[in-house]
Amino acid sequence: MSKQGGKGAASKGKKPAKAGGDDKREDALQAVIIADYFQDRFRPFTLDKPRCLLPLVNVPVIEYTLEFLALNGVQEVFIYCGTHSEDIEQYIQESIRWNPSSIICPFSSLEFIRVSDATSVGDFLRDLDKRSLISGDFILVHGDCVANIQLDPVLAKHRARREANGDACMTVVLRSVGEEPHRAAKARGITPVFVVDDTDSRCLQYDEIHPLIKDRRLMLDQSVFKHESFSVRSDLIDCGIDICTPDVLALWSESFDYELPRKNFLHGVLKDWELNGKLIYTEIVEDAYAARASNLQMYDCISKDILERWVLPFAPDSNLMHDQSYRKVKNNSYVESGVVVERGSKVLQSAVGKYTSVRAGSSISGSVIGRRCVIGRNVNIKDSYIFDGTVIEDGAVIVHSILAGDVKVGANAHIPEGSLISYNVEIDRDVRLPTKPPARISAKTDYGEPVENDASLVGPNGKGAAYEVVDDDSDSDSEEEEDGDPAQLQNNLIYSLEGLNISTLSVSTLASSDDYDSDEDDEHAGYLHAGDGQRERLSSFTSDDSSKPDAFHGDAVNGLVDALRGDDNEDFDSAKLEFMGLRLANNASDSSMRRAIAVAFTRRAAEMLSPEHGGLEPSKAAERVLRGKNGAAKFIRDVGVGGDGVKPQVEFALALQKGLVSVKGLESGRAGTLLAALLQQLYSLDVLEEDGILAWWADKRAAEGETMTKVKEKCKVLVDWLEEADEEDSDEDEDEDSD
Amino acid sequence: MPPPQASYAPSLDKLIKSLKSQPYETSIEALIFLLKRRQVKGDDCAVATAHILLQVVARSKWHDVDQLLGRVQSVGSRLARAAPHEPVIGNIVRRVLGLIRDEASEERNNADDLGSESGSDIQSLAPTNPPPQRPAPTPVLMRSSTAAPGGLQVSKSMFNILSAATSADTPMTGASTPLSQAQPASVHALRTEVIDGIEEIMDEIQSADDQIASFADVQIHPGEYVLAYQPTKTVERFLIKAATKRRFTVFIASIDPIDPGTGEKPYAALRKKLNSHGVTTVNLASNGLMAYISRVNKVIFGAKVIYQNGGLLVDSGACIAAQAAREFLKPVIVLGAVYKFCPEDPSDEAVIGELGNPSSFVSYAGGPEVEALDIENTVTDYIPPSLVEVYITNLGPQTRHHLASILADHYKVEDIGYSLHDGEV
Repeated sequence: MSKQGGKGAASKGKKPAKAGGDDKREDALQAVIIADYFQDRFRPFTLDKPRCLLPLVNVPVIEYTLEFLALNGVQEVFIYCGTHSEDIEQYIQESIRWNPSSIICPFSSLEFIRVSDATSVGDFLRDLDKRSLISGDFILVHGDCVANIQLDPVLAKHRARREANGDACMTVVLRSVGEEPHRAAKARGITPVFVVDDTDSRCLQYDEIHPLIKDRRLMLDQSVFKHESFSVRSDLIDCGIDICTPDVLALWSESFDYELPRKNFLHGVLKDWELNGKLIYTEIVEDAYAARASNLQMYDCISKDILERWVLPFAPDSNLMHDQSYRKVKNNSYVESGVVVERGSKVLQSAVGKYTSVRAGSSISGSVIGRRCVIGRNVNIKDSYIFDGTVIEDGAVIVHSILAGDVKVGANAHIPEGSLISYNVEIDRDVRLPTKPPARISAKTDYGEPVENDASLVGPNGKGAAYEVVDDDSDSDSEEEEDGDPAQLQNNLIYSLEGLNISTLSVSTLASSDDYDSDEDDEHAGYLHAGDGQRERLSSFTSDDSSKPDAFHGDAVNGLVDALRGDDNEDFDSAKLEFMGLRLANNASDSSMRRAIAVAFTRRAAEMLSPEHGGLEPSKAAERVLRGKNGAAKFIRDVGVGGDGVKPQVEFALALQKGLVSVKGLESGRAGTLLAALLQQLYSLDVLEEDGILAWWADKRAAEGETMTKVKEKCKVLVDWLEEADEEDSDEDEDEDSD
Repeated sequence: MPPPQASYAPSLDKLIKSLKSQPYETSIEALIFLLKRRQVKGDDCAVATAHILLQVVARSKWHDVDQLLGRVQSVGSRLARAAPHEPVIGNIVRRVLGLIRDEASEERNNADDLGSESGSDIQSLAPTNPPPQRPAPTPVLMRSSTAAPGGLQVSKSMFNILSAATSADTPMTGASTPLSQAQPASVHALRTEVIDGIEEIMDEIQSADDQIASFADVQIHPGEYVLAYQPTKTVERFLIKAATKRRFTVFIASIDPIDPGTGEKPYAALRKKLNSHGVTTVNLASNGLMAYISRVNKVIFGAKVIYQNGGLLVDSGACIAAQAAREFLKPVIVLGAVYKFCPEDPSDEAVIGELGNPSSFVSYAGGPEVEALDIENTVTDYIPPSLVEVYITNLGPQTRHHLASILADHYKVEDIGYSLHDGEV
């Protein structure tokens, strides 16, 4: 996604707050709207318009969000824009209702904040923290949120919790939609899984699953089991409404690499709550509506919900926009003034905008038609969304597609399910668009230039060509996964797993909130099984080594080695913080962390042996590496080894051994000596215990392959010494049983 | 730390509090959106409309009656279009329009009669009775004007008379420049009169429930069984008032078995009050009321609005109760204050009923079967006039045949014709 070209993070779009806004600042409710998503799920439509200005039932999406805030009495609004920020600003400026200088604007102030170098939502929030605009609790929403929740009770609860415990920093508003949601009510691409304490609705853990990961299971954190009863819920819609204290922004600032509010931030903060001590609560609403038009399927779903009045007061005939004039007519349809529906044509469960004409014999059902559209005779439109100014000639058939504004569809053209046709495209007569995969046609390229017309697709007199969703990393669609990109599922109108490489087709769900016994699991993790025999598993981001191994490993090792090379007096804490952040960002598992740490330390130690770095003796090098920095030993103990018992120590020792073997240009004899020295230092620093080293010695894996054995042999002296000491120990203290 | 604000959501109370401190245009828009978002509904709409129109009269700039009428009409139609499902708004607007016409014509008459008297006398002579108590002033001129296409034309000529008359009394005010002084004096007088009138309408709205309740002991006899379908505040007050004098039994029919807000049985407060007076109450689920209808002596509804044909809008489900009562020849009593009488026939939309959120019947979480259904949750029912026995207004019990005279007393013919739903001025 293209970035804002402006220089510096200055708030160019800032407008003077309306007078009188400041004296009420103390208790004015503030809200922050995130109006850029750094995604391209709505391509090619978002080439022309930002996502939050795309019409949803003929009303720009951001109207719903602003109205939702007004409905809840928000006074001050800050909007963060990225791409197309001028368009959004212009839209607000021109809006009678929202322009903050207009006397009818319900907000006392509405400010735009542009961050030119932002690449993620996280950058926005870190920027917000710097600006210190937020004085108290605030509501964080996305610019595509459609909700009618009354936040008053939620705010009151949040406030009560915060007063009881200053660490209660955030309330996540969720909506329960049941196991098998009505329509595509959930973004079926990614299912959020919340682990919630039943008694005080504290959120304990957050994970995401999606159908493309191979191993769908959920690894419950050990600490979860300390709670008396908890629910694991995958039946919730995450509507992106968070009630936050300013502490939340501080947390964002601390974790400089968090990008996404859920997958990174929520997951990370909950995972490390023992470190940061912050509590996050959930508020699960059952009887109100809330959802985000976060992908095309949700767009489809919310549109239908609005037409069916689930989102009251957001129904077309509420006419929330100033110039709207919808009336409810028969067949559950909504028609604006100036609409001509000829006799013999049918409009069922649809909304039709001003000055649109529908000629005889046409049938429109379950669709939204924009303004000034011309629909010819015998046209059949079903479950489709047609924006303003589109012309559809006689006999065309359109099924479950999106046609943006000013599109022309020739006579008898056939537009099958799932087609996405962007602005100003023209489809020639008698053209049949392909069904598999559905066409995605744009008249513009990513860079805004007109495309070369593809006559085979849109016909000889057509305009436009197939639009390919570019899938490169600089697009920063940060929800990519190594197992497959769930974004793929989300940028289609129709949810389909066809043609995607996945192991099983069953999208897993969690049956209920049974209490799982932690004892059954040796790894202190609950593997959840649905009760009905069909085995359904939830994913885990924490369990496997393979999750982004390269990115994490490389960055982490380099970071640590740099820290170790650095000035000796410097504290190791900053390196530790960076490492932890990296780990959270990549969802690195314990074992990959261990590996990274071991490799970093051995690499540095081996470096010191080489002549250009002083050619130290192995024992000296080991000491320098481990004792040179304040906190290095502690870091290894807490993070590298991490956990009690012998097993992690064995793993770490093994990792050290492997690390040394893999260091280039180090002959195995010297490597062995260095390993022995390192182990000895670690032993004397109380990082490794003798049990751990002895268990490593006994471990088969330590003797796999020639070099490994060679390296290992060099430690025999140390092990012998330890065994002796051990015997002495047990001689002296006979009560203590050593094995 | 200052005590945190209890609630942030905008409401009518907050709006009324802030009326004075903000431009009236802001208040109008605020109310429009409260109406659109259904944060103000039912009887509150009447109060809110009166408050807003009061601001319009008091604070907008107008120099003659036409301007004032135009202003009120335009604001009124904006409000009415914001909530087409609340005809009460239109009623209040028409009442205020009628009031302005009355005051203007009276002032003219006064000026004609007492042309030589001072302006202050004119003010003191203007009647301060609430409009309902006053016999409808129907000058011949205005009656005849209904035949003419433009009602406003008449008032213009009326105003010309008025300004001419007021300029006649300018010497008495001691003003230096008679012509420039003439207008403000009359405008000021008219403004005060109209504001007083609107305040009286507000008083009327407020006291209507009590006035209706004062007829309770006539309607409810000792030992009777009364069915109240989803009692509104008016009905509650009516029953409580009757309970102080009579011993009877009330069946309360309601849709929700449990109030979702408080977790209590519905109308718990009402039941407590009735029980404390020794009145037995029985809660019925609305679908079970047929079984009891033969036992019931009368059925009471509170109307949302009463149309000129005698039909009325009520909460959904009430029509079935009314029809059941009809089958068993039980009288249906409708409680409705005069301000709820609408000088229109019910629109098609009103007869079909306003559609609400389907989630009160079907859970969104219901799964695929929800998708397969078309759910229409009508929140209002239209009861045709043939099912209603008697209307109890704050002016006393009325039959359908007398509704026309009530309407004639309260609305000017010009305003009845003025459609609130058509385009803005």
